[in-house]
Amino acid sequence: MNDGPLIVQSDKTLLLEVDHPSAPDARKAIAPFAELERSPEHIHTYRLTPLGLWNARAAGHDAEQVVDALLTWSRYAVPHALLVDVAETMGRYGRLRLEKHPVHGLVLSSTDRPVLEEVLRAKKIAGMVGARLDDDSVAVHPSERGNLKQALLKLGWPAEDFAGYVDGEAHAIDLAEDEWTLRPYQREAAQSFWDGGSGVVVLPCGAGKTLVGAASMAHAQATTLILVTNTVSARQWKDELVARTSLTADEIGEYSGAVKEIRPVTIATYQVLTTKRKGVYPHLELLDARDWGLIVYDEVHLLPAPIFRMTADLQARRRLGLTATLVREDGREGEVFSLIGPKRYDAPWKDIEAQGYIAPADCVEVRVTLPDGERLAYATSDPDTRYRLASCTHAKIDVVRDLVRQHAGQPTLVIGQYIDQLDEIAAMLDAPVIKGETPVKERQRLFNAFRAGEIGLLVVSKVANFSIDLPSAEVAIQVSGSFGSRQEEAQRLGRLLRPKTEGRSAHFYTIVSRDTVDADFAQNRQRFLAEQGYAYRIIDAGDLTAESS
Amino acid sequence: MHADPTRTAAALQRLLDLALAWETPGGVRALSGVADAMRGVPGVASGLRPVSPEPLTDDEVRARLAELSPAAAALLRHVDEHGGEGTTGAARRTVSPRDARSPAEELLSRRLLVPREGSSVVLPGEVGLALRGGRTTVEPVDDVPALATSSRDASLVARSAAGAAFDVVRRVELLLDHWGVAPPSVLRSGGLAVRDLKAVARELHVEEAEAALVVEVALSAGLIAEAAVADGTPSWLPTDEFDVWSGLPTSGRWARLVAGWLASSRVPSLVGSRDAAGKSWNALAPELSSGLAEEARRLALHVLSEVPEGEVLAAGTGTASLVGRVAWLRPRRPTIFGELVDAALTEAAVLGVTGAGGLPPSGRLVAEGDLGAAAAALDPHLPRPVDHVLLQADLTAVAPGPLETEVARRLHLLADVESRGGATVYRFTPGSLRRGFDAGWSALEVRDFLTSVSQTPVPQPLEFLVDDVARTFGSVRVGHAEAFLRADDEAALAALVHDPRARTLGLRLLAPTVAIATSPLDVLLPRLRELGAAPVVEAADGTVRVSRPDLLRARTRRGRRPAGAVAARQVAQVQAVATAIRAGDRAESSRPATLATTTPSGALAALREAIEAGSTVVIGYVDNHGATGERVVDPRRLDGGRLSAYDHRADDVRDFAVHRITGVRPA
Repeated sequence: MNDGPLIVQSDKTLLLEVDHPSAPDARKAIAPFAELERSPEHIHTYRLTPLGLWNARAAGHDAEQVVDALLTWSRYAVPHALLVDVAETMGRYGRLRLEKHPVHGLVLSSTDRPVLEEVLRAKKIAGMVGARLDDDSVAVHPSERGNLKQALLKLGWPAEDFAGYVDGEAHAIDLAEDEWTLRPYQREAAQSFWDGGSGVVVLPCGAGKTLVGAASMAHAQATTLILVTNTVSARQWKDELVARTSLTADEIGEYSGAVKEIRPVTIATYQVLTTKRKGVYPHLELLDARDWGLIVYDEVHLLPAPIFRMTADLQARRRLGLTATLVREDGREGEVFSLIGPKRYDAPWKDIEAQGYIAPADCVEVRVTLPDGERLAYATSDPDTRYRLASCTHAKIDVVRDLVRQHAGQPTLVIGQYIDQLDEIAAMLDAPVIKGETPVKERQRLFNAFRAGEIGLLVVSKVANFSIDLPSAEVAIQVSGSFGSRQEEAQRLGRLLRPKTEGRSAHFYTIVSRDTVDADFAQNRQRFLAEQGYAYRIIDAGDLTAESS
Repeated sequence: MHADPTRTAAALQRLLDLALAWETPGGVRALSGVADAMRGVPGVASGLRPVSPEPLTDDEVRARLAELSPAAAALLRHVDEHGGEGTTGAARRTVSPRDARSPAEELLSRRLLVPREGSSVVLPGEVGLALRGGRTTVEPVDDVPALATSSRDASLVARSAAGAAFDVVRRVELLLDHWGVAPPSVLRSGGLAVRDLKAVARELHVEEAEAALVVEVALSAGLIAEAAVADGTPSWLPTDEFDVWSGLPTSGRWARLVAGWLASSRVPSLVGSRDAAGKSWNALAPELSSGLAEEARRLALHVLSEVPEGEVLAAGTGTASLVGRVAWLRPRRPTIFGELVDAALTEAAVLGVTGAGGLPPSGRLVAEGDLGAAAAALDPHLPRPVDHVLLQADLTAVAPGPLETEVARRLHLLADVESRGGATVYRFTPGSLRRGFDAGWSALEVRDFLTSVSQTPVPQPLEFLVDDVARTFGSVRVGHAEAFLRADDEAALAALVHDPRARTLGLRLLAPTVAIATSPLDVLLPRLRELGAAPVVEAADGTVRVSRPDLLRARTRRGRRPAGAVAARQVAQVQAVATAIRAGDRAESSRPATLATTTPSGALAALREAIEAGSTVVIGYVDNHGATGERVVDPRRLDGGRLSAYDHRADDVRDFAVHRITGVRPA
């Protein structure tokens, strides 16, 4: 028996005892190939997945290293079957290679003939490859590069892409590091992306993913297409790029529902690209409008399915994916892997928080009891409307008022799902509301005012979930969410994690109706927080009033 | 012998010393009985058999060999190198050397190959001997086949063996815990259904082959047996031995499993493969055993124990070399023996007798047969049982090692297992905690238990969860009552419930205004009235049922029928009688002395005729009681062996079975 900090389970989970003296070393050893699944206070759970192992292979680790790391740090004997499986899975990556051929253009080749035979016999693959060149290689049409990679991954034989990238139209971009510098992890992230060619950088919300994007652009020195989730976030990207790089406002174009500019650096929204008119995507030509040298995907975990298909055709261009989490609620992690690329950089939230780059958060669940009348209405209502009834209870509004009073003077966001409820809260608190129907201009005005500290309280609907930088927010009060989405919880918490002045910690309140589906959903979301290592407290609404008075 | 003469002489001397052979004037002879005591098929290895009834002399053989064409000589050599047997196909058996047209015929004609049944031929012993230049075998027999080994750290061997040992014990326990609740049924042929084996593999996170081994080892160790469950289906159930086994320390449990495995004749490696008839083998099937299995295991371990410590069988070639060595040691075993030895090595690895291809100290003791010492040697390498868990805010508890049985049992009740292995991850859910409350735990006990078992403070969300579940637990109560009593007057109800005379009614106050009774309504009502209460009965829908006694009435008898109807009935009766009499008269009048018996075909013809003519006939008919009677009928239809006819006496159309009609004649 070895006194290691790691326990390897037969179901391919790795348990890391955090308080063990050699835990940091063990973590460093397993991080490249194991996905961190949960990180509560004592034992962190990692999982070995084929994608994780292939990511490690793509990063240059081999099976021997993985097995060695497991054997070295494991407290108990490692199940033999698991070691065999690791070696086998890792051995599958790179048996097939996509390469440039001087005569035939793109070829799929293999040193392992049976594997090549196996995949060529698969029905899906047959339509994507061309003539057989010799025993070990087959021609591939360049337009099928992405589709082929996707199909090969599904077959369990992910291909390594050595076909390289087009340089794209050159355009000078430099970081303007005056009065600020790139944080070490941002520099590392951009560097490892560049070394890897294409891929995904995973950083927590508020860790400055935009700057990783900017640094990568500085590496590429080429025209860049940036795809973001919405218009507000597009403008933030633009502001950030103007402020932090040598680019001027004229060099950056916005391509959205409102404006359609194509400039050396163009920021487009997912929505405009996926707009369909008469069965065609009219804005698809944007992808070919210039000879882009780099394509940046913001919030990769939200990438809509049509974009995947478009991305399949862009395999010759460098692609950078930025995200806070590789978990997709639709389970399409495999497509991110095959079409955008393997994970190139990852840093757990807590580590970056410990380095002081994002603010620590204090998560509190406030439980309210439904008044008897509402309880009865809830009990007798339709299951479909229950969640709405439970999350829009009046009891919550009083709690919001108490909390706002308690944190008077601190910039506060009230986040909710149901517009009626938000309107009511806004009316009661006399605060502005941002919801779906608020015009973009108005939204920006309000966000700017909030950032500038002119407004101390903002009521927002789910439009504010993503990519809106509100670094000054110190308190968030969540009154309702969309049915326990874990990703939403992460994003909302992310609003708060931007570093604070004076090292103050952020407060994240979730108001939940006791004994209803609201509480069940809340539990689901909080499980995510707990797994991310944010121990949360539960308090009763009654205690809260007592606390504040 | 194809061996060094000095070694042969030494071996012979050894046999003489052991008194297994003795010198006679005619040469050395084996003691009678030695040949019988040697198991296996004789002759496979010696190269001296089969013995021809009229052996050719050496000179004859040599002469005939010299005559052979190169092709025939090559063929003969090939047969010799491949076990001395072959098939000839189209070759003729009886030809003279001169007519031989193929190499096979050439050999057969010279009796260098001897035909056997079918198309097979054998190489006579004396021919083989001559062919090999007077040697018994092609390969030298005094070269001990070497074992392919590579060096491996002894501590790694011990650790990986211990890991496997721990795993197999855990799996057996998990499997039998599961089967104790949901046992799989026994197939009619006696095995375990493929579907059930798949379920086991899923449950245990292993391949099916390994699942089959776990199941078989449990059988060999006497931990499972067939028994009928409540509904009478024979099922595989853990035995009571399992309970004893569960109480042992891990190393003791392992030793029991290994002892069972070592002495068993079961062949789990065959599960999933197909027998000669193409039927696949089921795990636990009674035929799945071989008399050689035990010897194969012991021999495999024995040979492996010759590998020095720090050395293990080389990956890839090691197993094959060990199988080769065993084949050399036991040349008379059939070829399946090699497969059994191969399987034994795989099984030993799964059971943790070997680790990384080598024998750890515990495995060596197993090979020597000292299982008690083996368990003691294994013990220090097994994970220590822990008595604590780590509770976390995401409502999980992690036991960083095997939990002590009592703690594990309790935790099992309160939480669901999420992941198993060296450690166990438990998750608390409202459902799992409710299970605890159902089993009689209180919120306080749950909290005390969690506090005592956790090394870290109980996270606040978990405390909330316990309280939440406790709060809703039992908020609705269900019970059994025969009747309820409701009263707005609380005092009156209380008085009633506490009245000593009402004790037998089983009254219990549920709320100030509601009581229940365990006696039924018809007992309750009169007694309540006796006690001076004036109860009103409520119907199921809550309305008041008036309890006026029912007035009893009998049914009035029906009056006489009107005269006309009676008259009509009488007329009809008279008519029916008259009709019957007339039919009888007609029968009488047309009846000859006796009704001649007609042949069946004659009867059928007569009946068909009557149908066509529409005439009346008299038939002789055997009724249900076997009595023959006569009927006057007008035949209507004849099919399916039945006659449909108008019966004059019954005044109705009746069916008659044709085979019962004894005769037909016109009326």
